[in-house]
Amino acid sequence: MKKHMTVLFVLCALLLVLSPAFAAGTKEEASGPVTLTFVETMTSPSRTTQIQELIAKYEAQNPNVKINLVSPPYEQADNKLTLMLNSNQELDIIEVRDHTVKQFVNNNKLVDLTSYLKAWDQGTDLLPLTMTAATTVNNTPYLLPQFFFVKGLFVRTDILAQHGFTTMPKTIDELYKMSIAITGKAPNQYGFGFRGKGSAFKISDILILSDVANISVDNIYKTTDGAFAFTTPAARKAVAAYVDLYKKAVPSDGINWGFNEQVNGFISGTTPFLVQDPDTVSMVAEALDPSQWTVIPMPVGASGKTYLDYGFAGLGIPTTSKHPDLAWDFISFMINAENNADFCRAYGPLPVHTSTYANDPYFSSGVYKSWEIEMSDPATYVFVKYPLDNPKYPAWAQVQEQTMQSLLLGSTTVDQAIKSWEDYWK
Amino acid sequence: MKKNTVFSIGRFVLLAFYVLAAVFPLYWIVVTSLKGPKEIYTMPLQYLPTSATLDSYRKLFSFSSFSLYFRNSLVVALISSLLAMAVSILSGFSLSRYPRQRTKGILQLALYFTQTIPTFLIMVPIFTMFSKLGWVDSTGALMLVYVATVIAFSTIMSKGFFDRIPVSLEEAAKIDGCSMFQSLFHVVLPITRPGMAAIFCFAFINIWNELFLAVMLLMSNDKMTVPVALNSFISKAGISWDVMSAGIVIALLPTMIVFGFGQKYIVAGLTEGSVKG
Amino acid sequence: MERKFYRWMLVPALLFLTAFIYYPVLRGAVMAFQNYNLFDLNQLRFNGFDNFKAVLTDPHIKFAQILFNTVVWLFGSLFFQFVLGFGLALLLKKPFAGRGIYTAFVFYGWALSGFAIGLTWAWLFNGQFGLVNDMLIRLGLLSQPIGFLSNPNLAMISVMIPNIWYGVPFFGIMLLAALQSVPNELYEAATLDGAGAIRKFTSVTVPYVKPTIVSTILLRTMWIVNFPDIIYAMTNGGPVNRTNILATQMINKVFKEYDYGQGSAIGLIIMILLFAYAMLYLRLTEKGGDNL
Repeated sequence: MKKHMTVLFVLCALLLVLSPAFAAGTKEEASGPVTLTFVETMTSPSRTTQIQELIAKYEAQNPNVKINLVSPPYEQADNKLTLMLNSNQELDIIEVRDHTVKQFVNNNKLVDLTSYLKAWDQGTDLLPLTMTAATTVNNTPYLLPQFFFVKGLFVRTDILAQHGFTTMPKTIDELYKMSIAITGKAPNQYGFGFRGKGSAFKISDILILSDVANISVDNIYKTTDGAFAFTTPAARKAVAAYVDLYKKAVPSDGINWGFNEQVNGFISGTTPFLVQDPDTVSMVAEALDPSQWTVIPMPVGASGKTYLDYGFAGLGIPTTSKHPDLAWDFISFMINAENNADFCRAYGPLPVHTSTYANDPYFSSGVYKSWEIEMSDPATYVFVKYPLDNPKYPAWAQVQEQTMQSLLLGSTTVDQAIKSWEDYWK
Repeated sequence: MKKNTVFSIGRFVLLAFYVLAAVFPLYWIVVTSLKGPKEIYTMPLQYLPTSATLDSYRKLFSFSSFSLYFRNSLVVALISSLLAMAVSILSGFSLSRYPRQRTKGILQLALYFTQTIPTFLIMVPIFTMFSKLGWVDSTGALMLVYVATVIAFSTIMSKGFFDRIPVSLEEAAKIDGCSMFQSLFHVVLPITRPGMAAIFCFAFINIWNELFLAVMLLMSNDKMTVPVALNSFISKAGISWDVMSAGIVIALLPTMIVFGFGQKYIVAGLTEGSVKG
Repeated sequence: MERKFYRWMLVPALLFLTAFIYYPVLRGAVMAFQNYNLFDLNQLRFNGFDNFKAVLTDPHIKFAQILFNTVVWLFGSLFFQFVLGFGLALLLKKPFAGRGIYTAFVFYGWALSGFAIGLTWAWLFNGQFGLVNDMLIRLGLLSQPIGFLSNPNLAMISVMIPNIWYGVPFFGIMLLAALQSVPNELYEAATLDGAGAIRKFTSVTVPYVKPTIVSTILLRTMWIVNFPDIIYAMTNGGPVNRTNILATQMINKVFKEYDYGQGSAIGLIIMILLFAYAMLYLRLTEKGGDNL
């Protein structure tokens, strides 16, 4: 019996010892500093360090506030944030992305920022695109965008020169022709940095749909007459041309290429053309010499324009926050012109203030010049939206990947693929 | 004599094949961790780093607080495994000696049933449950969940070990005046020590490598465990192979050590059949 | 009096299981019958078998293909894991110099996380920078690199290889232990009866080891089906759905599409299939005797 008791006692002791660890989850609202919880979702080790530096700066200026940064791994972060919001965890600042804003608003998780923006002295300095992005859902600003991810064309100028190419492609047609021409000029030399999996449609859509003259800015998959964009004759031709590009200018492995492989192809020189976002700049700059590469604006399609999707991420205030005003104070600090420019310089994507482009030479010179060109010529570089508020959007990536891969492998025809896409969006 | 030599050579060749196949990915990871970031992506492929450097390891420990995460994982894995081991001693012994056959059968079925459950099915319900209890971002709560995830298999193993020990031992102890518990702890348990070590190893390795529950149930950055930290080297910009490979090597060390010491016991524990005296 | 004692000893384990496994499984099962989609939770309601119907009749991600992949993944991996593991166990049965260190190196694979294994092998099989391609070319067996993970016909084999690599240590250890537990007297008796090596194997070793094999294989079956980590890290189910198993499709539904309703439905399907298989399997191997 005594041993019986001893074991029970030991188990209870163990539980008692562990139980303080349980209390750790609940908020300790002391009468001292206020703690704000900030959840980021586009986590990357270098970016987290930069955020921590900005937080330290803010805390130094505001000794009564502590910011608790939560950085879940990128692949699970959006999902985790959604779960946290839906179970009413007390969060104060959250990173909202283009594909999560609609969802958060649907579930009534975001605070309307209109009054805050009106009262903000830097509110008028924001790019028009920034306000468009902010009011993606219901024409109401539910987030303040912090970064823009817009595609540019990365070029290995040294490889092109090596094989006798001196001009840069201005149209998509030229890009395809050059990619195909360069393929095979040397062992393991191909032309185009293909994206086969993982939101591959973001890249293929630009190359294919830019041939269509009248794409609607509210939905890249619709023309201004309401037709499904891929069923237009121009798009049909472009899809066939895209498949042709894969067959002639891409290693067969390209169908499985994700971000890593795309960039590796560029860095190793196997594929001298790469369509990617500005945050890729630092990776490439680390691995290559400045004389070896550059970035040019995206080539235009047969329509004379190129349709660019403006990916964005920004900060919002959850409705469960007990300190919305303080949260806004922090947000307006993180995204003021100076901090935003610093952050973007270190991390890569495009900043959101007009003054930055006017005053900061970094963003209007060197490789960033191309993005500046894209941002300031709306007639040629048309910004369009994806149907983010359509409940069919989240599942589209997997469906498109399947049919596109099938098409590239030759198991489906162009018409069959287009029909299945049309059926999906009906 | 000739037949034996042929067998010996054949055996040697096969053994060599097995160990080369086993070690070959590890070699690649170690080599990658010793190359600098630029060398990782060069062609033609470098089988050995041209200038081995510990830069990736330095970056690993300074960049992200990897030593903190390492400590977190050690604490979580050690405590959970010990707890699981302790609990499974009780449940395994009981299941082994349980008098009613029908209940025993049902209990065993219930244990095997838990192995059919995908983690993703219970992830959200556990998260919802914990957030109602205020247990989100609690290392203690995570440890309890881990014990629950390994307890079924631990019990099955434990029962197996106790099955091999004849009941006559306990009966002899009882005749000598021991109570049930005394006979368990002083007579039976010492013999199953290898088995218990085996259970500890299994539990430790499983818990050490668990990713998704840790991601979901922890919040604060300083509570992260090693798998979560490794996973955070994957970002929108792809995988940082330099720190990732260094991280995988470091993460492998404790499990290799536990396993290295433990495999003797695992094998011994599983073979323990006869009892001396 | 004794029975009560045994019952009390079961309580801690049962508490853990009920609180953190059985109860959540029930809640998860309920989600399978709701349109639980994080995109818009305002419309949460029961939708009967709609989730199951959606999963089974999805026109783009064919369920038949997923099921086929799962079966190939399971039995292909299981067979080779077992055969190679058994071979290893036989080789290790007789002691030799340095066996301790050797076993540490040949078994360590099991201490790695599936995720790390998947990433490593994805790199090894890479169509441009992969070691496997490079070696095969240097050995003259290939003239051009192959896209192991992008070729629909090679992809499944390419993801199964790391899974086999990962499972061999487990079988090796289990079977080695089982082999070593066969009492020598049985072998001596068989020699006296004039039995040769092969006869000894079939009439002494195999029957003695069979119960262990039966239960180990059943456990391993359940673990392999519920092990999406390697595939997830290597191909994410592609190309063209050819490496997508039930468990990876579940991840897709949950993490990419936020559809916990359909994800849970797939989870239930996995459980039902495994349970049915286990019942069938145990009935067929009933003669094998008791469990581990």
